[in-house]
Amino acid sequence: MPGRQLLMSFPVTATSHALADYRARGGYATLEKALASMTPQQITAEVTASGLLGHGGAAFAVGRKWSVIRLNDGQPHYLCANADEGEPGTFKDRWILENAPHLLIESMLIASYALQVRNAFVYIRGEFDLPFRRIQGAVDEAYAAGLLGERVLGRDFACDIIVYRGAGSYVCGEASGLITSIEGKRGYPRNRPPRLTVRGLYQRPTVINNVESLANITGIVRDGAEAFRKVGTAKSPGTQLISISGHIAKPGVYEVEYGYPFAKFIHEDCGGVLGGRKLKTIIPGGISTKVLTAAEIEPLKLDHASLAAAGSSMGSGGMIVIAEGTCMVRLLQVLLRFYHHESCGQCTPCREGMGWMHRIIDRIVGGEGRPEDIERLYEISHANDGTTICGMGDAAGYATVGILNKFRDEFEYFIEHKRSRLGGNLEVLPNA
Amino acid sequence: MKHLIPEFDALRARFPATFASSLVLPCVRRIQEDRGFVADSDIDELAGYLGVPRVQIEEVLSYYTMFRRKPIGRWHLQMCRNISCSMRGSERLLAHLETSLGIAAGQTTADGRFTLSTVECLGSCGTAPVLVVNETYHENMDTARIDALLKGLD
Amino acid sequence: MPEIFINGQAVQADDNQTVMQAALAHGFFIPYFCWHPHLSVHGNCRICTVEVEGDGGGWLDIACNMPVAKGMRILTDSDKVRARRKQTMQFITLNHPVDCGICDKAGECTLQDYHVAYNGSPSTSRDPKVQSTKFFPLSQRIILDNERCILCTRCVRFTREVSKSNALGVRNRGDHSLIRPTEDRSFDADEYSDNVIDLCPVGALLSRRFHYKARVWYLKPTPSVCPGCERGCSIDLWHRRPEWKLSALDARQNNRIDRVTPRENPAVNGPWMCNKGRDLAATFERARADQPLLKGRPVDSTAAIANARQLIGDARHPVALVSSWGSNEELASFKQALGGRFECFVKADVAAAPGETLADAILIRPDKNPNTAGARALFGAAPPRFAADTDLVLVWGEGTNFGDLPPRAKVIFLNAWLQPENGHADVFFPISVQTERAGHYTNFEGVESAFAPCFAKADTVADAEALFAALAVGPESGA
Repeated sequence: MPGRQLLMSFPVTATSHALADYRARGGYATLEKALASMTPQQITAEVTASGLLGHGGAAFAVGRKWSVIRLNDGQPHYLCANADEGEPGTFKDRWILENAPHLLIESMLIASYALQVRNAFVYIRGEFDLPFRRIQGAVDEAYAAGLLGERVLGRDFACDIIVYRGAGSYVCGEASGLITSIEGKRGYPRNRPPRLTVRGLYQRPTVINNVESLANITGIVRDGAEAFRKVGTAKSPGTQLISISGHIAKPGVYEVEYGYPFAKFIHEDCGGVLGGRKLKTIIPGGISTKVLTAAEIEPLKLDHASLAAAGSSMGSGGMIVIAEGTCMVRLLQVLLRFYHHESCGQCTPCREGMGWMHRIIDRIVGGEGRPEDIERLYEISHANDGTTICGMGDAAGYATVGILNKFRDEFEYFIEHKRSRLGGNLEVLPNA
Repeated sequence: MKHLIPEFDALRARFPATFASSLVLPCVRRIQEDRGFVADSDIDELAGYLGVPRVQIEEVLSYYTMFRRKPIGRWHLQMCRNISCSMRGSERLLAHLETSLGIAAGQTTADGRFTLSTVECLGSCGTAPVLVVNETYHENMDTARIDALLKGLD
Repeated sequence: MPEIFINGQAVQADDNQTVMQAALAHGFFIPYFCWHPHLSVHGNCRICTVEVEGDGGGWLDIACNMPVAKGMRILTDSDKVRARRKQTMQFITLNHPVDCGICDKAGECTLQDYHVAYNGSPSTSRDPKVQSTKFFPLSQRIILDNERCILCTRCVRFTREVSKSNALGVRNRGDHSLIRPTEDRSFDADEYSDNVIDLCPVGALLSRRFHYKARVWYLKPTPSVCPGCERGCSIDLWHRRPEWKLSALDARQNNRIDRVTPRENPAVNGPWMCNKGRDLAATFERARADQPLLKGRPVDSTAAIANARQLIGDARHPVALVSSWGSNEELASFKQALGGRFECFVKADVAAAPGETLADAILIRPDKNPNTAGARALFGAAPPRFAADTDLVLVWGEGTNFGDLPPRAKVIFLNAWLQPENGHADVFFPISVQTERAGHYTNFEGVESAFAPCFAKADTVADAEALFAALAVGPESGA
């Protein structure tokens, strides 16, 4: 087990997601305690003191985001749990939605109490089927048990949760895109300023937190910030759910304590590379984070500071393991096709740049590459860095630059010889 | 759409009163579940029911990949071809599906039974490759499991 | 009033201004495609990027969405800004056909200007451009070229925020996005739709009426006032520049109104106008009367004036129906020359056409005449009526049914158009139209607006202002 566990601390059974089991594990006692003995300010102070960082990818301090909300300002506030898990390689929030939906609901209730939220939303990606049924089922159970609605736990605290389903759009996982989607429109991200905590959903102050970030709230309020900080590292307190996939022997979701050795996680906890192959490279935190080679991960610890120092990021915890023999040109083609497909088309650099990069990589793979194509991909990536309304253009650029920097020779070979040096392989058969 | 209005009324009651616009996505989804696609008349009726401009519904329908304006086959097979699925064989499985069904991705079989689509990441990377049939995820797929699955679909 | 610094120069900005607004207000130009002073900020084109100086070398962000803050230091033309603009223009022109040679917008196109000013290089792309729909019928009046469209969404925002028709939207997403009208074709009913043609910063939205009619650099905009209703929107009438006069081709092109666009006037119409005003050419290009007549018989103007003076001098009870299309100058001339001699009523020259929108909450007003207010200020608001002893009626302008006039009264008629009534008058004078003279109209809110001549009038056509002076009959002659 890669370190201590805060969220996956119970055995998953056929009924472990249900209210009865959750209550048997002490569920909703923390909500009871918070409503009975804590003020909203105390809760936000505790969350701030815990140093909890956002788990959606940007690692922004949750307490700082909450602190922007002005209590008693006479306007409604909204809370949205971001369950639009769409970053390729990422499927960790799905674990919470499927197995610990009441932990999310209890945490959202505590957050709603702290932020004076009457209406909270779970924005869940439209394709999710079981995760939707589980979280919707849990919400229904919570209403029936008096945990949601006009008088939560019989107290003078009212809160509703609506599970809102997306309909197929990657950029709706970006907080402002998510908000326009809940407003029933095309999921166009919005320019900042204003910040969403100032003017968000229907122009009201809105807090949007990742599902996993929210799921940590109950534990922090239950055990205190100090206890939370004892897990993980000083700068990255707590744990991270890492979803690992690709050429790995034991793919799945693991809860990893920040500071855990990277290589040990791969080679021991996850059983090493599929079929005993050698490790070529790793995408550490969703496809938008820069790849790290086998040599680079050796000294690394799994925490924000460590990966930042190596020029990458923990991102959304979506780790993709890539074995020796994989063609990075074809791999980048898959990524750029995805970015092109998902660009919302609103702002110029991304709308034009994504299609441009996709056409270039398709041409290279089609044997029509030109030597200047590599520089062109760099240029387009750089021209998307910090120039777009949301972070998607940047993300596509990071992914591209990361792969080009480390595997440029494969691209040069492909362009010169009009074919892949590695047979165009993406799949590595386990018995190979 | 009209027969769904009692359901929509109930849904509306759960949202804050000023959130009529938010009901576009859930209502469109429900219409599509009911009819299989969203018909032109549904757009007019929904715009009227929610009091939102028609253009908003038209825009939403063309923006989100899950919505459709035309009927498709009885079984909608959606093969993920994003990174983790590709690395675990989805390109091969897609070719297998195309051969088995005799259609290319994006097409519907002549008998109207199957529509084959490709989709980008569905959050099933740890159980890749994934094939979604209508709403249901079928994970860890291989050719044998696909053959068995197709046999079970009428 | 925060003080900010633009290119090192101190500027007093307003509290709620953006950097874009503060810069433009103080004479610093920042380029923009999607931003528009009368539409909401979308910040999608990214060309207005400026540099904010700060610790560690400053950063770049878009000026249109950047609130001013005290002490902020902005650079609008630094090396970083220029490099970024060049990149953005590379993206903007990536799939734009750059077919200026056959584009109506050429010569007044923002993209063309910026391409020269901020890019100046050929595309770095060697890949074929993505093709898209050409000549898409956006409405009965407007053609859309999707290849030229840069998706700035000004047109979409216009239909949501100004005309309120909600008739345009964005279809699909990414670089497949297309501006499209709603499927119920409600854009056809948007009476302000043509404003999107002016709003379009590129050659994507084209007027069917103007399509391939002229190159704009051969045209001259003459400031004018729309006579279509009592709003009196400030407009520009575009016609061929005299210095580019055609002698070999169809000479009518020299005296044609090629297009009508709004001229921004905060006191009257802001930057907009309605579609009816766009079609003014049809009003002004009707067949003209150019011959004075005596009971249908052509005469020269001297004879016509002499006859009219005689009728005026002889009349015991002359009544005048004063035109609500006359300029304030003409009305004043009439008042001075003939006001004491005639019992005067203001008439409506033009009534609303069947099916025409009477009024709305934007610009359109119920009275379809431009200067009713100016005429009523001089001649009162009483409706025309004829006393039993009326023996002379002077009708100025069109729109009067001669059957409604007292049967035995003599008629002097001043009209610009070739109409059957002309020949029934005892004396008929052809007069000039608005496009042939200068003057002012006063709109329903009392705002006076000027118009200038586009074309010279024909010699045989009278200038009403001068004609009234010539018709003045002293009190002694009428006694």
